[in-house]
Amino acid sequence: MQEYTYATDKELNQSLLKDVLGMPKWWLGAVSFLALVWLMGLGAYGWELNQGIGVLGVNRPVYWGFLITNFVFWIGISHAGIMVSAILRLTQAEWRRPVTRAAEVLTLFSLLAALSNIMFHVGRPWRLYWVAPYDFERGVWPNIRSPFVWDPSAVGTYLIGSSLFVFIALIPDLAALRDRSTGLPRKFYAMASLGFRGTQSQWKLQAVAGILLSALVLPVFVSVHSIVSWDFAVSIGVEGWHSTIFAPYFIIGAIHSGVSAVAMVMALMVWLWKWDKYITPDHFDAIGRLLIIVATTWFFFFALEWIFALYTLEGPELSLREWQVFRLPMGPLFLTFMITAYFIPVPAWLFKAVRRSPKWMFWTTILVNIGMWLERFLIIVPGLQRRQPFEFEWGSYAPSIVEILLVASTFAFVGMGILIFAKIFPLIPLFDMKEGTRLRDTIRVGRRVVPASIRE
Amino acid sequence: MANEAIHYPLGHAADNPKWTSAEIITDDLLSRREKASKTFWIATSVFGVLLALGVIGMIMRLVDGVSDTAQWGYTAAVLSFMLTTASAAPMVAIAPRVAKGHWRRIVSRPAEIWSVAGLISLLLFIPMLWALPSLEDGRRSMWFYHPGEVYPYSPHLWTTLAIVALVVVGFMLLWVSALPDLAAVRDRSPLGSAVRRRYTWLSRGWIGTSAQWDWQKHRIGILGAFYFLMLITVHFLFSIDFLMTLVPGWIDALYPATHAANALQAGVATVILTMFFLRRFCGYKEIGHDQFWGLGKLMFALSLMWFWFWFSSFNVFWYGKKPNEEAVLELFIKGPYLPIFYLTFITVFIVPMFTMIWNFFRRSVWGPAIISVSVLIGTFFDRVRIYVGAYSVSDQAGNHEGIETIPPTVYPDLADVFIVVGAIGGAIFVYMLATRVFPIINVWEQKELLLYKLHKKYHRTVVLVLGKPE
Amino acid sequence: MADAKWGMVIDADRCTGCQACVVACQSENNIPINDEGLFNQQRANQWIRIERVWEGEYPDVKARFMPVLCQHCDDAPCEPVCPVYATYHNTEGMNVQIYNRCIGTRFCANNCPYQVRFFNFWEPEWPESLKNQLNPDVTVRSRGIMEKCSFCVQRIRRTGHNAKRDGTTVEDGDRALNPACSNACPTGALTFGNLKDENSQVAKLAEKEMHDKDGRGYHLLEELGTHPSVIYLKKVDPAAEKVTEKAHG
Repeated sequence: MQEYTYATDKELNQSLLKDVLGMPKWWLGAVSFLALVWLMGLGAYGWELNQGIGVLGVNRPVYWGFLITNFVFWIGISHAGIMVSAILRLTQAEWRRPVTRAAEVLTLFSLLAALSNIMFHVGRPWRLYWVAPYDFERGVWPNIRSPFVWDPSAVGTYLIGSSLFVFIALIPDLAALRDRSTGLPRKFYAMASLGFRGTQSQWKLQAVAGILLSALVLPVFVSVHSIVSWDFAVSIGVEGWHSTIFAPYFIIGAIHSGVSAVAMVMALMVWLWKWDKYITPDHFDAIGRLLIIVATTWFFFFALEWIFALYTLEGPELSLREWQVFRLPMGPLFLTFMITAYFIPVPAWLFKAVRRSPKWMFWTTILVNIGMWLERFLIIVPGLQRRQPFEFEWGSYAPSIVEILLVASTFAFVGMGILIFAKIFPLIPLFDMKEGTRLRDTIRVGRRVVPASIRE
Repeated sequence: MANEAIHYPLGHAADNPKWTSAEIITDDLLSRREKASKTFWIATSVFGVLLALGVIGMIMRLVDGVSDTAQWGYTAAVLSFMLTTASAAPMVAIAPRVAKGHWRRIVSRPAEIWSVAGLISLLLFIPMLWALPSLEDGRRSMWFYHPGEVYPYSPHLWTTLAIVALVVVGFMLLWVSALPDLAAVRDRSPLGSAVRRRYTWLSRGWIGTSAQWDWQKHRIGILGAFYFLMLITVHFLFSIDFLMTLVPGWIDALYPATHAANALQAGVATVILTMFFLRRFCGYKEIGHDQFWGLGKLMFALSLMWFWFWFSSFNVFWYGKKPNEEAVLELFIKGPYLPIFYLTFITVFIVPMFTMIWNFFRRSVWGPAIISVSVLIGTFFDRVRIYVGAYSVSDQAGNHEGIETIPPTVYPDLADVFIVVGAIGGAIFVYMLATRVFPIINVWEQKELLLYKLHKKYHRTVVLVLGKPE
Repeated sequence: MADAKWGMVIDADRCTGCQACVVACQSENNIPINDEGLFNQQRANQWIRIERVWEGEYPDVKARFMPVLCQHCDDAPCEPVCPVYATYHNTEGMNVQIYNRCIGTRFCANNCPYQVRFFNFWEPEWPESLKNQLNPDVTVRSRGIMEKCSFCVQRIRRTGHNAKRDGTTVEDGDRALNPACSNACPTGALTFGNLKDENSQVAKLAEKEMHDKDGRGYHLLEELGTHPSVIYLKKVDPAAEKVTEKAHG
């Protein structure tokens, strides 16, 4: 059942590097389109800087809307990288090899998109640097009790850790590119590959660094989204936020949406770069099975959150839940969220035919991410709309065109980032794939030949 | 490709170099367990005496009366401890099977046999059904009690069903997993002997056809998944119905998950300790570094997870400063159980974290064993802190605002001590008796490994090539 | 002022819902003009607001009014969450907002359970003719900044400085000390003063109404444990009194 690709080193080099050294036909068009959307977003932001937060849809009482939802969403997607590269590396899952770099790059750009949302949403972004502890002279420090100071610390650490991770894993491939290019690109690759020549000790260093980083970045992985969830959970002023389950709930939700995003990217890699030889139905099958477990665990935490919300049978919380589920406009959104995040994808993934098809995986995982975006929205906005018991202050929320453009621009930014990355660096890690071929073997068990890997 | 075994020079792989064929494995493993030593029977009797003490303690407690819920704190604590350690231990057999790691083969049976300790859990649970008041006392519950519309004994009904299901599925999983080995014991025993008759009955006609193997593999998968589901359900129901609802103002959506996560950690600790005993005192040197290392890594990760779950709850309560939540923190952490909390925190998190972070500690035999003892002690006191504290305020459960007065520390009386000692001793007693029926090491899985293993020359060295089952 | 804890007692029985306090606050504190457009955007800025609640069924419908302003909580949930310390608790028991420091994350506004924090979504503008009306003692906030009731801290400071300069003490009930809302209220529903001064009106009212058996005093959202400095006195419902009288004969 498991078919591994047996490609020679030469084949790997050629197919994985040709789109870096050459230019795929569709690339320029795709990047231009995404750049256009991104620029529209920048334009919208310029308008916001000029006019004020008033151009967004936020108001009193709904002080946080689309932009914070988007922030939490992208932090969620950023958990894809760690899950696929670090955790699967530490558990020695072989199927991670073709997708590990794409997942990590997705993480990098998601984190940048998330941070940009913070910049978009504050009232005085030109003073945003006050959150950093830089003022050694006047002694004016940021408030370390605030979750909004924990956030940049955690996200910043994660960003640095992920960048290091991508870079360290890139070094051997950069060396391969250096050896195959001329002129200015060669100078760039030569500098970036830090003189990697593939000697015994260099490979050993690189392997150890990879394993260490995988282990060290795991606590960061857990803490980043826990901290983002505590932006909401520590608050007593908003119904539906003050729940202890938020930290694990958000993390498992992040893994759910992140791994789904990786599956999406995998499908795109097969279609755009024609890498169906390296990203086989087996890989989709493996990620599909992981997704079933992750999604069901997520659903368990979701159910726990709801049970305890309703547990007290108190007016304010019940009123919020009723508003979220049964009233317009939140009711249809809630239904959409439930169906797209769990009740269509997971039953679909139970079928092997669905799991093994890039097309089906692509569309089901898009549904998952639509649902998870809605999930964040439904956590943030309904509670803000109905602040009990001051019914006099109840409000509504509608996104403005600026917010919609800004959100769209973050998606364009991440897409653009991955495409540009794939033009400069190989998106499938060469050495990982080659290492995989070295460690692979077969064993005859009776009349069957079973794939095997070499273990120490 | 002939599967010739070359004596593998690097000794840390769990490997008995003599195990070169299926017959040798069967013979070796089953002959070792044929007769139990005198030490074994003395030890078993000691634990049997402890079990008897436990029964006496339970009778003493019952004589005191079942209506005062506050008296049952220690019983609830030790029952929760059983569910956290013995009932969770089979997960070490189930989960790595899904992940298809080979190192777990030798520890899966010792882990699975722990499900028989569920009998002790049932014994402890039955009086609790009378100790827990009905929903009519006005406390909050997840059954959304309404007079006339919801059955007031819903917690009792559903938790009983869950625990019984857990124990039954555990037994079934053990039996299905052991079937081939029971058949092997049958085949080795002399015709007409009592042993042969017993094992013929136990092995239900197993002869090892393809169809039977397929059936067994399928059933193990389903039963394993079901056991996991039931374990989570039991922890969920028990921690809510028999714990959280008794404390007014304790609204913690995370706690059922915390309770279950603690169980994973303590289950791994139980198995590590069992492995240590088997290696050190029963001569099973095949349980080697690979096993301790694998479980040690798991233990490290789960200890970190203990902290993460605890801190998630703590942070939200502590930061929000709501009076009802501050009272809960006072009861369980800062107040009468502060020393126990420190003990728990140190043994369950600090010690494992700062020792298991070192490879030499994690990769040894004694390292994970010491940490397991630490974790088990810590888990026990954690359960005592939470359950005894909760049961001590159970009379205020109807007051929805929150805990009004925090009672002082509740110390165990003689009956409580007997019950605790009896429960732990009884679990070990039942375990040891079970090992006389089910072979302690999973023979068929070791034989299966032979099929997947191949030592091959690789450049200038010899490596082990392991097939990945599908 | 040393050794002061500023607090307020609001008698809901006396409030007629006339909104004089809202207007006075707006003019004293340079609050941006709330036109209809701003109200429709749900961004109106009212440091003190009158909550109107309908009680009863037709034809016995009654309107009840509650002035709600910043409660200056001792355990203010808005304070720990500001990333830049733009809001903190001063030594006189007040929750203060530092306009210059605010970067506009709006976390404090979310965490305030009383909904008394306001954000400047737009750059506030006054017509030329009204610019002379602005109070020079109070900062004019730009867009992107949070603001809320400050118990007219500028008046407290000014009275304190004047007293020190003149060698006198600050007197309880001094109209120059009281916040604008308290002065403007025609029925005397808002009483302001130093809760630590036993002889002040507020302290006497607080003691009586919170601790007496028939006291009408309570805190808003007591169950959240915020310990506000504002005490509300329950409305006395004449109809309810008659029922009690009849029942007891």
